[in-house]
Amino acid sequence: MTQKELIKGNFAIAEAAVRAGCECYFGYPITPQTEIGEYLSQRMYDLKRGYVCAESELAAINMVIGATSTGAKAMTSSSSCAVSLMQEGLSYACSDELPVVLVNVMRAGPGLGYVYPAQGDYFQAVYGGGNGDYKLIVLAPSTVQECIDLTYKAFYLAQKWRNPTMILADGQLGQMMEPAEYGEYPYPEVDTSSWALTGAKGRDNRKIFSCASDEDEHNAKIRRLFAKYDKIAAEETEWEEHETEDADVILVAFGSMGRNIKATMKELRKQGLKVGMLRPITLSPFPEKRLSELADKCKQFIVVEMNMGQMINDVKLAVNGKAKVDLLNRPVGQWLSVEEISEGVHNILNHKELAVL
Amino acid sequence: MEKNYIIAGFGGQGVLFAGKVLANAFMLAGKNVTWYPCYGAEMRGGTVNCEIVVSDDEVSSVHKQYADCVIALNQLSFDRFISKIKSGGMIICNSSLVKDERPRNDIEYIFEPMTELADEAGNNRLANMVSMGIIFEIEDSLNQDMFEKADDIVLPETRKHLAKSNLDAFLKGYKIKTPA
Repeated sequence: MTQKELIKGNFAIAEAAVRAGCECYFGYPITPQTEIGEYLSQRMYDLKRGYVCAESELAAINMVIGATSTGAKAMTSSSSCAVSLMQEGLSYACSDELPVVLVNVMRAGPGLGYVYPAQGDYFQAVYGGGNGDYKLIVLAPSTVQECIDLTYKAFYLAQKWRNPTMILADGQLGQMMEPAEYGEYPYPEVDTSSWALTGAKGRDNRKIFSCASDEDEHNAKIRRLFAKYDKIAAEETEWEEHETEDADVILVAFGSMGRNIKATMKELRKQGLKVGMLRPITLSPFPEKRLSELADKCKQFIVVEMNMGQMINDVKLAVNGKAKVDLLNRPVGQWLSVEEISEGVHNILNHKELAVL
Repeated sequence: MEKNYIIAGFGGQGVLFAGKVLANAFMLAGKNVTWYPCYGAEMRGGTVNCEIVVSDDEVSSVHKQYADCVIALNQLSFDRFISKIKSGGMIICNSSLVKDERPRNDIEYIFEPMTELADEAGNNRLANMVSMGIIFEIEDSLNQDMFEKADDIVLPETRKHLAKSNLDAFLKGYKIKTPA
Protein backbone atom coordinates (compact mmCIF):
# COMPACT_ATOMS: atom_id res chain seq x y z
CA MET A 1 0.00 0.00 0.00
CA THR A 2 1.33 3.41 -0.89
CA GLN A 3 1.56 5.96 1.89
CA LYS A 4 -0.68 9.00 1.55
CA GLU A 5 1.07 12.35 1.40
CA LEU A 6 -0.15 15.88 1.86
CA ILE A 7 -0.58 17.27 -1.66
CA LYS A 8 -1.77 20.64 -2.95
CA GLY A 9 -4.65 20.41 -5.43
CA ASN A 10 -2.77 22.13 -8.25
CA PHE A 11 0.28 19.91 -7.83
CA ALA A 12 -1.99 16.87 -7.66
CA ILE A 13 -3.47 17.71 -11.05
CA ALA A 14 -0.03 18.38 -12.53
CA GLU A 15 1.60 15.17 -11.27
CA ALA A 16 -1.45 13.10 -12.19
CA ALA A 17 -1.17 14.49 -15.73
CA VAL A 18 2.44 13.35 -15.84
CA ARG A 19 1.50 9.88 -14.63
CA ALA A 20 -1.38 9.73 -17.12
CA GLY A 21 1.27 10.06 -19.80
CA CYS A 22 0.80 13.72 -20.73
CA GLU A 23 3.48 14.32 -23.35
CA CYS A 24 3.09 18.07 -23.78
CA TYR A 25 1.92 20.93 -21.61
CA PHE A 26 1.22 24.40 -22.96
CA GLY A 27 0.03 27.13 -20.67
CA TYR A 28 0.07 30.72 -19.59
CA PRO A 29 0.17 31.58 -15.86
CA ILE A 30 -2.83 32.88 -13.96
CA THR A 31 -3.80 32.68 -10.27
CA PRO A 32 -5.09 30.41 -8.75
CA GLN A 33 -3.62 27.65 -10.94
CA THR A 34 -0.10 28.91 -11.67
CA GLU A 35 1.41 26.04 -9.66
CA ILE A 36 0.32 23.58 -12.35
CA GLY A 37 2.57 25.23 -14.94
CA GLU A 38 5.27 25.91 -12.37
CA TYR A 39 5.42 22.26 -11.33
CA LEU A 40 5.35 20.94 -14.88
CA SER A 41 8.08 23.33 -16.07
CA GLN A 42 10.59 21.30 -14.04
CA ARG A 43 8.93 17.90 -14.19
CA MET A 44 8.40 17.84 -17.96
CA TYR A 45 11.96 19.09 -18.51
CA ASP A 46 13.33 16.29 -16.30
CA LEU A 47 11.31 13.71 -18.23
CA LYS A 48 12.29 15.23 -21.61
CA ARG A 49 8.66 15.84 -22.48
CA GLY A 50 7.20 18.96 -24.09
CA TYR A 51 6.63 22.14 -22.11
CA VAL A 52 5.95 25.59 -23.50
CA CYS A 53 5.06 28.64 -21.48
CA ALA A 54 2.96 30.10 -24.27
CA GLU A 55 2.80 33.79 -25.12
CA SER A 56 -0.97 33.83 -24.57
CA GLU A 57 -3.92 31.58 -23.78
CA LEU A 58 -4.93 31.70 -27.43
CA ALA A 59 -1.54 30.30 -28.36
CA ALA A 60 -1.69 27.69 -25.59
CA ILE A 61 -5.01 26.16 -26.65
CA ASN A 62 -3.94 26.11 -30.29
CA MET A 63 -0.67 24.40 -29.36
CA VAL A 64 -2.72 21.72 -27.57
CA ILE A 65 -4.85 21.38 -30.70
CA GLY A 66 -1.68 20.88 -32.74
CA ALA A 67 -0.20 18.32 -30.37
CA THR A 68 -3.39 16.29 -29.87
CA SER A 69 -3.98 16.11 -33.63
CA THR A 70 -0.85 13.93 -33.76
CA GLY A 71 -2.41 11.59 -31.20
CA ALA A 72 -0.24 12.90 -28.35
CA LYS A 73 -1.64 13.34 -24.86
CA ALA A 74 -1.52 17.07 -24.25
CA MET A 75 -2.95 19.50 -21.75
CA THR A 76 -3.35 23.14 -20.91
CA SER A 77 -4.58 24.73 -17.71
CA SER A 78 -5.95 28.13 -16.89
CA SER A 79 -8.56 30.00 -14.90
CA SER A 80 -11.92 31.60 -15.66
CA CYS A 81 -11.24 34.88 -17.47
CA ALA A 82 -8.34 33.26 -19.32
CA VAL A 83 -10.37 30.16 -20.18
CA SER A 84 -12.70 32.62 -21.90
CA LEU A 85 -9.85 33.34 -24.30
CA MET A 86 -9.68 29.64 -25.21
CA GLN A 87 -13.31 29.22 -26.22
CA GLU A 88 -12.67 29.56 -29.94
CA GLY A 89 -10.05 26.82 -29.71
CA LEU A 90 -12.42 24.56 -27.78
CA SER A 91 -15.12 24.91 -30.42
CA TYR A 92 -12.57 23.96 -33.10
CA ALA A 93 -11.25 21.06 -31.02
CA CYS A 94 -14.78 19.69 -30.58
CA SER A 95 -15.43 19.99 -34.28
CA ASP A 96 -12.07 18.34 -35.02
CA GLU A 97 -12.72 15.72 -32.33
CA LEU A 98 -9.37 16.20 -30.62
CA PRO A 99 -8.54 14.74 -27.19
CA VAL A 100 -7.68 18.10 -25.62
CA VAL A 101 -7.46 18.14 -21.82
CA LEU A 102 -8.16 21.54 -20.28
CA VAL A 103 -8.06 22.34 -16.58
CA ASN A 104 -10.07 25.33 -15.36
CA VAL A 105 -9.31 26.24 -11.75
CA MET A 106 -12.14 28.72 -11.35
CA ARG A 107 -11.81 32.18 -9.85
CA ALA A 108 -14.47 34.85 -9.49
CA GLY A 109 -15.92 36.66 -12.50
CA PRO A 110 -17.34 38.21 -14.56
CA GLY A 111 -14.56 40.01 -16.39
CA LEU A 112 -11.23 39.99 -14.61
CA GLY A 113 -13.06 39.41 -11.32
CA TYR A 114 -10.66 38.40 -8.61
CA VAL A 115 -8.54 35.45 -7.54
CA TYR A 116 -10.78 34.06 -4.84
CA PRO A 117 -12.64 30.86 -5.60
CA ALA A 118 -16.12 30.73 -7.16
CA GLN A 119 -18.22 28.45 -9.36
CA GLY A 120 -19.35 30.95 -11.96
CA ASP A 121 -18.06 29.05 -15.00
CA TYR A 122 -20.61 26.22 -14.95
CA PHE A 123 -22.49 27.63 -17.93
CA GLN A 124 -19.28 28.28 -19.84
CA ALA A 125 -18.01 24.75 -19.21
CA VAL A 126 -21.26 22.89 -19.83
CA TYR A 127 -22.92 25.04 -22.47
CA GLY A 128 -19.78 26.45 -23.98
CA GLY A 129 -18.55 29.92 -24.76
CA GLY A 130 -17.51 28.88 -28.24
CA ASN A 131 -19.70 28.92 -31.31
CA GLY A 132 -21.80 26.14 -32.73
CA ASP A 133 -23.26 22.88 -31.46
CA TYR A 134 -20.73 21.08 -29.34
CA LYS A 135 -20.23 19.53 -25.94
CA LEU A 136 -17.22 19.07 -23.75
CA ILE A 137 -16.90 16.28 -21.24
CA VAL A 138 -16.71 18.14 -17.91
CA LEU A 139 -15.43 16.55 -14.69
CA ALA A 140 -15.76 18.35 -11.35
CA PRO A 141 -13.53 17.13 -8.47
CA SER A 142 -14.36 17.88 -4.84
CA THR A 143 -11.23 16.69 -3.02
CA VAL A 144 -7.52 16.60 -3.75
CA GLN A 145 -7.78 12.82 -4.19
CA GLU A 146 -10.42 13.41 -6.85
CA CYS A 147 -8.15 15.97 -8.53
CA ILE A 148 -5.83 13.02 -9.15
CA ASP A 149 -8.49 10.45 -10.04
CA LEU A 150 -10.36 12.75 -12.41
CA THR A 151 -7.18 13.95 -14.13
CA TYR A 152 -6.43 10.30 -14.93
CA LYS A 153 -9.97 9.92 -16.14
CA ALA A 154 -9.87 13.11 -18.23
CA PHE A 155 -6.92 11.85 -20.27
CA TYR A 156 -8.61 8.52 -20.80
CA LEU A 157 -12.04 9.86 -21.74
CA ALA A 158 -10.57 12.51 -24.04
CA GLN A 159 -8.84 9.83 -26.10
CA LYS A 160 -11.51 7.17 -25.77
CA TRP A 161 -14.17 9.48 -27.15
CA ARG A 162 -11.93 11.79 -29.16
CA ASN A 163 -13.52 14.71 -27.35
CA PRO A 164 -12.11 17.72 -25.46
CA THR A 165 -12.41 17.12 -21.74
CA MET A 166 -12.38 19.76 -19.04
CA ILE A 167 -11.53 19.42 -15.38
CA LEU A 168 -13.57 22.09 -13.63
CA ALA A 169 -11.97 22.77 -10.25
CA ASP A 170 -11.94 25.96 -8.21
CA GLY A 171 -9.33 28.08 -6.46
CA GLN A 172 -10.11 26.52 -3.12
CA LEU A 173 -9.39 23.05 -4.41
CA GLY A 174 -6.31 24.22 -6.30
CA GLN A 175 -4.78 25.83 -3.23
CA MET A 176 -5.69 23.35 -0.51
CA MET A 177 -3.52 20.48 0.69
CA GLU A 178 -4.97 17.13 1.68
CA PRO A 179 -3.66 13.62 2.18
CA ALA A 180 -3.92 11.81 -1.15
CA GLU A 181 -2.16 9.14 -3.17
CA TYR A 182 -1.39 8.78 -6.85
CA GLY A 183 -1.48 5.03 -7.25
CA GLU A 184 -1.13 3.73 -10.81
CA TYR A 185 -2.75 5.24 -13.89
CA PRO A 186 -5.75 2.90 -13.97
CA TYR A 187 -6.85 3.09 -17.61
CA PRO A 188 -5.73 1.24 -20.76
CA GLU A 189 -3.90 3.13 -23.49
CA VAL A 190 -6.16 4.17 -26.34
CA ASP A 191 -5.10 3.41 -29.91
CA THR A 192 -5.10 6.64 -31.92
CA SER A 193 -3.43 5.23 -35.03
CA SER A 194 -6.63 5.21 -37.10
CA TRP A 195 -6.94 9.00 -37.12
CA ALA A 196 -3.82 10.71 -35.79
CA LEU A 197 -1.74 12.86 -38.14
CA THR A 198 1.60 11.09 -38.05
CA GLY A 199 2.87 11.65 -41.55
CA ALA A 200 1.30 10.05 -44.63
CA LYS A 201 4.26 7.98 -45.70
CA GLY A 202 2.94 4.59 -46.81
CA ARG A 203 -0.72 5.44 -46.38
CA ASP A 204 -3.41 7.76 -47.75
CA ASN A 205 -3.35 11.29 -46.44
CA ARG A 206 -5.71 12.35 -43.67
CA LYS A 207 -7.35 15.61 -42.82
CA ILE A 208 -8.44 17.09 -39.54
CA PHE A 209 -10.43 20.05 -40.65
CA SER A 210 -13.40 21.78 -39.06
CA CYS A 211 -14.72 23.62 -42.13
CA ALA A 212 -17.81 22.06 -43.70
CA SER A 213 -17.62 21.02 -47.35
CA ASP A 214 -21.36 20.93 -48.01
CA GLU A 215 -24.66 21.18 -46.21
CA ASP A 216 -25.55 17.47 -46.14
CA GLU A 217 -22.18 16.40 -44.97
CA HIS A 218 -22.22 19.14 -42.32
CA ASN A 219 -25.60 18.01 -41.01
CA ALA A 220 -24.43 14.43 -40.90
CA LYS A 221 -21.29 15.41 -39.04
CA ILE A 222 -23.15 17.35 -36.31
CA ARG A 223 -25.65 14.51 -35.93
CA ARG A 224 -22.78 12.05 -35.63
CA LEU A 225 -21.17 14.25 -32.96
CA PHE A 226 -24.40 14.34 -30.99
CA ALA A 227 -24.91 10.60 -31.33
CA LYS A 228 -21.46 10.34 -29.75
CA TYR A 229 -22.52 12.69 -26.93
CA ASP A 230 -25.55 10.45 -26.30
CA LYS A 231 -23.27 7.43 -26.02
CA ILE A 232 -20.99 9.32 -23.65
CA ALA A 233 -24.03 10.19 -21.52
CA ALA A 234 -25.14 6.54 -21.45
CA GLU A 235 -21.71 5.19 -20.51
CA GLU A 236 -19.83 7.85 -18.57
CA THR A 237 -22.32 9.77 -16.41
CA GLU A 238 -21.07 9.68 -12.84
CA TRP A 239 -22.29 11.09 -9.55
CA GLU A 240 -22.02 10.69 -5.78
CA GLU A 241 -25.25 10.03 -3.91
CA HIS A 242 -26.03 9.45 -0.24
CA GLU A 243 -29.12 8.84 1.87
CA THR A 244 -31.61 9.56 -0.91
CA GLU A 245 -33.67 6.43 -0.26
CA ASP A 246 -36.03 7.98 2.30
CA ALA A 247 -35.15 11.65 1.71
CA ASP A 248 -37.72 14.44 1.92
CA VAL A 249 -35.08 16.92 0.78
CA ILE A 250 -32.17 16.31 -1.58
CA LEU A 251 -29.25 18.74 -1.63
CA VAL A 252 -27.41 19.09 -4.94
CA ALA A 253 -24.03 20.72 -5.45
CA PHE A 254 -20.94 20.23 -7.62
CA GLY A 255 -17.20 20.47 -7.05
CA SER A 256 -15.87 21.42 -3.65
CA MET A 257 -19.34 22.59 -2.53
CA GLY A 258 -20.19 18.89 -2.59
CA ARG A 259 -18.23 18.55 0.66
CA ASN A 260 -20.31 21.21 2.37
CA ILE A 261 -23.64 19.64 1.43
CA LYS A 262 -22.43 16.24 2.59
CA ALA A 263 -21.56 17.67 6.02
CA THR A 264 -24.86 19.58 6.07
CA MET A 265 -26.76 16.39 5.27
CA LYS A 266 -25.13 14.61 8.22
CA GLU A 267 -25.90 17.55 10.51
CA LEU A 268 -29.56 17.75 9.45
CA ARG A 269 -29.97 13.95 9.75
CA LYS A 270 -28.83 14.31 13.37
CA GLN A 271 -31.60 16.86 13.82
CA GLY A 272 -34.08 14.29 12.50
CA LEU A 273 -34.63 15.77 9.03
CA LYS A 274 -34.64 13.25 6.20
CA VAL A 275 -32.03 14.82 3.96
CA GLY A 276 -30.09 13.22 1.11
CA MET A 277 -27.50 14.53 -1.31
CA LEU A 278 -26.41 14.19 -4.90
CA ARG A 279 -23.17 15.56 -6.34
CA PRO A 280 -22.70 15.32 -10.11
CA ILE A 281 -19.10 14.28 -10.81
CA THR A 282 -19.61 14.60 -14.55
CA LEU A 283 -21.32 17.95 -15.20
CA SER A 284 -21.42 17.09 -18.87
CA PRO A 285 -22.91 14.54 -19.27
CA PHE A 286 -25.24 15.56 -16.44
CA PRO A 287 -26.92 12.89 -14.26
CA GLU A 288 -30.36 14.02 -15.41
CA LYS A 289 -31.88 10.53 -15.52
CA ARG A 290 -31.00 9.86 -11.91
CA LEU A 291 -32.37 13.23 -10.79
CA SER A 292 -35.57 12.55 -12.69
CA GLU A 293 -35.95 9.17 -10.95
CA LEU A 294 -35.35 10.77 -7.57
CA ALA A 295 -37.94 13.44 -8.31
CA ASP A 296 -40.61 10.73 -8.52
CA LYS A 297 -40.25 10.26 -4.77
CA CYS A 298 -38.60 13.34 -3.33
CA LYS A 299 -40.54 16.58 -3.61
CA GLN A 300 -37.91 19.13 -2.60
CA PHE A 301 -34.50 19.72 -4.18
CA ILE A 302 -32.13 22.44 -2.97
CA VAL A 303 -29.21 23.39 -5.19
CA VAL A 304 -26.23 25.00 -3.43
CA GLU A 305 -23.80 26.94 -5.61
CA MET A 306 -21.15 29.67 -5.45
CA ASN A 307 -22.71 31.61 -8.33
CA MET A 308 -26.06 33.24 -9.04
CA GLY A 309 -27.69 29.90 -9.90
CA GLN A 310 -26.35 28.02 -12.93
CA MET A 311 -26.48 24.26 -12.33
CA ILE A 312 -29.96 24.79 -10.89
CA ASN A 313 -31.20 25.14 -14.48
CA ASP A 314 -30.06 21.62 -15.30
CA VAL A 315 -31.59 20.29 -12.09
CA LYS A 316 -34.90 21.94 -13.01
CA LEU A 317 -34.78 20.47 -16.52
CA ALA A 318 -34.14 17.01 -15.06
CA VAL A 319 -36.82 17.32 -12.39
CA ASN A 320 -39.18 18.72 -15.04
CA GLY A 321 -41.78 20.11 -12.65
CA LYS A 322 -42.14 16.93 -10.61
CA ALA A 323 -40.65 18.56 -7.48
CA LYS A 324 -39.77 21.94 -6.04
CA VAL A 325 -36.27 23.20 -6.79
CA ASP A 326 -34.79 26.01 -4.70
CA LEU A 327 -31.42 27.74 -4.66
CA LEU A 328 -29.00 28.56 -1.86
CA ASN A 329 -26.13 30.60 -3.18
CA ARG A 330 -23.53 33.31 -2.83
CA PRO A 331 -21.87 34.70 -5.94
CA VAL A 332 -18.27 34.88 -4.65
CA GLY A 333 -16.16 34.84 -1.50
CA GLN A 334 -16.60 32.74 1.61
CA TRP A 335 -17.98 29.30 0.71
CA LEU A 336 -21.45 28.77 2.22
CA SER A 337 -20.87 27.11 5.58
CA VAL A 338 -22.62 24.04 6.94
CA GLU A 339 -24.45 26.33 9.41
CA GLU A 340 -25.60 28.68 6.65
CA ILE A 341 -26.80 25.85 4.42
CA SER A 342 -28.60 24.21 7.38
CA GLU A 343 -30.35 27.46 8.20
CA GLY A 344 -31.25 27.96 4.55
CA VAL A 345 -32.76 24.48 4.35
CA HIS A 346 -34.85 25.13 7.47
CA ASN A 347 -36.04 28.44 6.05
CA ILE A 348 -37.02 26.88 2.74
CA LEU A 349 -38.90 24.07 4.48
CA ASN A 350 -40.70 26.57 6.75
CA HIS A 351 -41.49 28.83 3.77
CA LYS A 352 -39.57 31.66 5.39
CA GLU A 353 -38.08 34.48 3.41
CA LEU A 354 -34.47 33.60 2.60
CA ALA A 355 -31.85 35.81 4.15
CA VAL A 356 -29.29 37.10 1.68
CA LEU A 357 -26.25 34.93 2.34
CA MET B 1 -15.71 15.79 15.48
CA GLU B 2 -14.22 18.56 13.34
CA LYS B 3 -11.87 21.26 14.58
CA ASN B 4 -10.25 24.15 12.74
CA TYR B 5 -7.12 26.19 13.44
CA ILE B 6 -6.05 29.49 11.97
CA ILE B 7 -2.38 30.39 12.07
CA ALA B 8 -1.75 34.05 11.26
CA GLY B 9 1.15 36.49 11.27
CA PHE B 10 3.47 38.58 9.09
CA GLY B 11 4.69 37.22 5.78
CA GLY B 12 8.12 35.80 6.64
CA GLN B 13 7.15 34.46 10.07
CA GLY B 14 6.70 30.97 8.69
CA VAL B 15 2.94 30.85 9.03
CA LEU B 16 2.33 28.61 6.02
CA PHE B 17 5.28 26.41 6.96
CA ALA B 18 3.99 25.92 10.50
CA GLY B 19 0.55 25.12 9.09
CA LYS B 20 2.01 22.45 6.82
CA VAL B 21 3.86 20.89 9.75
CA LEU B 22 0.67 20.84 11.80
CA ALA B 23 -1.35 19.36 8.91
CA ASN B 24 1.26 16.66 8.25
CA ALA B 25 1.35 15.77 11.95
CA PHE B 26 -2.42 15.35 12.03
CA MET B 27 -2.15 13.14 8.95
CA LEU B 28 0.50 11.03 10.72
CA ALA B 29 -1.89 10.84 13.69
CA GLY B 30 -4.38 9.16 11.37
CA LYS B 31 -6.75 12.10 11.06
CA ASN B 32 -8.39 13.56 7.98
CA VAL B 33 -6.95 17.02 7.48
CA THR B 34 -7.03 19.92 5.03
CA TRP B 35 -4.59 22.84 4.81
CA TYR B 36 -5.82 26.00 3.12
CA PRO B 37 -3.81 29.21 2.72
CA CYS B 38 -5.03 32.71 2.18
CA TYR B 39 -3.78 33.53 -1.29
CA GLY B 40 -3.95 36.36 -3.73
CA ALA B 41 -2.08 39.65 -3.71
CA GLU B 42 0.11 38.79 -0.70
CA MET B 43 3.57 40.24 -0.13
CA ARG B 44 6.50 39.99 2.26
CA GLY B 45 5.74 42.07 5.35
CA GLY B 46 1.99 41.82 4.74
CA THR B 47 -0.27 39.53 6.71
CA VAL B 48 -0.67 35.90 5.88
CA ASN B 49 -2.74 33.10 7.35
CA CYS B 50 -3.68 29.52 6.77
CA GLU B 51 -6.45 27.31 8.06
CA ILE B 52 -6.11 23.69 9.11
CA VAL B 53 -9.28 21.65 9.46
CA VAL B 54 -8.93 18.28 11.15
CA SER B 55 -11.60 15.65 11.51
CA ASP B 56 -12.15 12.01 12.40
CA ASP B 57 -14.71 11.95 9.59
CA GLU B 58 -14.24 13.48 6.10
CA VAL B 59 -13.27 17.16 6.24
CA SER B 60 -16.38 19.09 5.30
CA SER B 61 -15.30 22.52 4.23
CA VAL B 62 -12.43 24.97 4.57
CA HIS B 63 -12.40 28.76 4.76
CA LYS B 64 -14.86 28.65 7.64
CA GLN B 65 -16.43 31.69 9.25
CA TYR B 66 -15.29 30.85 12.78
CA ALA B 67 -12.30 29.01 14.21
CA ASP B 68 -11.88 26.76 17.22
CA CYS B 69 -8.33 27.92 17.76
CA VAL B 70 -6.33 30.89 16.46
CA ILE B 71 -2.56 31.27 16.68
CA ALA B 72 -1.75 34.99 16.42
CA LEU B 73 1.93 35.65 15.82
CA ASN B 74 1.48 39.43 15.58
CA GLN B 75 -0.92 42.18 16.70
CA LEU B 76 -2.65 42.56 13.31
CA SER B 77 -3.60 38.89 13.39
CA PHE B 78 -4.93 39.19 16.93
CA ASP B 79 -7.08 42.20 15.98
CA ARG B 80 -8.35 40.53 12.83
CA PHE B 81 -9.23 37.13 14.26
CA ILE B 82 -10.27 37.80 17.86
CA SER B 83 -13.90 38.13 16.77
CA LYS B 84 -13.64 35.02 14.55
CA ILE B 85 -13.22 32.52 17.38
CA LYS B 86 -16.05 30.25 18.43
CA SER B 87 -17.39 30.69 21.92
CA GLY B 88 -15.40 28.29 24.10
CA GLY B 89 -12.48 28.45 21.65
CA MET B 90 -8.91 29.52 22.21
CA ILE B 91 -6.38 32.08 21.05
CA ILE B 92 -2.66 31.48 21.41
CA CYS B 93 -0.71 34.73 21.16
CA ASN B 94 2.89 35.68 20.64
CA SER B 95 3.08 38.21 23.47
CA SER B 96 6.43 39.43 22.14
CA LEU B 97 4.35 41.20 19.49
CA VAL B 98 0.78 41.06 20.84
CA LYS B 99 -0.50 43.18 23.75
CA ASP B 100 -1.96 41.14 26.61
CA GLU B 101 -5.57 42.33 26.32
CA ARG B 102 -8.56 40.04 26.77
CA PRO B 103 -11.63 41.66 25.20
CA ARG B 104 -13.75 38.48 25.29
CA ASN B 105 -14.53 36.35 28.32
CA ASP B 106 -15.95 33.34 26.46
CA ILE B 107 -12.62 32.11 25.09
CA GLU B 108 -9.33 30.87 26.55
CA TYR B 109 -6.14 32.90 26.16
CA ILE B 110 -2.55 31.76 26.09
CA PHE B 111 0.07 34.52 25.93
CA GLU B 112 3.68 33.45 25.52
CA PRO B 113 6.66 35.56 24.35
CA MET B 114 7.33 33.28 21.42
CA THR B 115 9.87 35.46 19.66
CA GLU B 116 11.93 35.73 22.85
CA LEU B 117 11.59 32.02 23.56
CA ALA B 118 12.75 31.31 20.02
CA ASP B 119 15.68 33.65 20.56
CA GLU B 120 16.61 31.73 23.71
CA ALA B 121 16.50 28.54 21.66
CA GLY B 122 18.95 30.09 19.23
CA ASN B 123 16.93 31.69 16.42
CA ASN B 124 14.45 34.52 16.99
CA ARG B 125 12.76 33.86 13.65
CA LEU B 126 11.26 30.60 14.87
CA ALA B 127 8.30 31.90 16.90
CA ASN B 128 6.20 29.76 14.54
CA MET B 129 7.89 26.61 15.86
CA VAL B 130 7.38 27.71 19.48
CA SER B 131 3.68 28.05 18.72
CA MET B 132 3.72 24.52 17.31
CA GLY B 133 5.20 23.31 20.57
CA ILE B 134 2.26 24.81 22.44
CA ILE B 135 -0.33 23.31 20.07
CA PHE B 136 1.32 19.89 20.11
CA GLU B 137 1.27 19.91 23.89
CA ILE B 138 -2.41 20.85 24.04
CA GLU B 139 -3.56 18.37 21.37
CA ASP B 140 -3.85 14.86 22.79
CA SER B 141 -3.45 13.26 19.37
CA LEU B 142 -0.07 14.96 18.70
CA ASN B 143 3.38 14.41 20.17
CA GLN B 144 7.04 15.32 19.70
CA ASP B 145 7.77 12.33 17.49
CA MET B 146 5.05 13.40 15.06
CA PHE B 147 6.46 16.91 15.03
CA GLU B 148 9.91 15.67 14.07
CA LYS B 149 8.50 13.49 11.29
CA ALA B 150 6.19 16.22 10.00
CA ASP B 151 8.99 18.80 10.11
CA ASP B 152 11.17 16.45 8.07
CA ILE B 153 8.40 16.00 5.47
CA VAL B 154 7.89 19.73 5.05
CA LEU B 155 11.55 20.83 5.07
CA PRO B 156 12.87 20.78 1.50
CA GLU B 157 16.06 18.80 0.80
CA THR B 158 18.18 21.95 0.81
CA ARG B 159 16.91 22.97 4.27
CA LYS B 160 17.16 19.72 6.22
CA HIS B 161 19.92 21.20 8.41
CA LEU B 162 17.27 23.44 10.03
CA ALA B 163 15.51 20.47 11.64
CA LYS B 164 17.63 20.85 14.80
CA SER B 165 16.87 24.55 15.33
CA ASN B 166 13.18 23.95 14.54
CA LEU B 167 13.10 21.25 17.19
CA ASP B 168 14.90 23.42 19.75
CA ALA B 169 12.32 26.18 19.28
CA PHE B 170 9.48 23.63 19.28
CA LEU B 171 10.65 22.27 22.65
CA LYS B 172 10.50 25.76 24.16
CA GLY B 173 6.77 25.77 23.47
CA TYR B 174 6.25 22.09 24.19
CA LYS B 175 7.38 22.55 27.78
CA ILE B 176 4.91 25.29 28.60
CA LYS B 177 2.16 24.14 30.92
CA THR B 178 -1.31 24.20 29.40
CA PRO B 179 -4.06 26.12 31.22
CA ALA B 180 -6.24 24.09 33.57
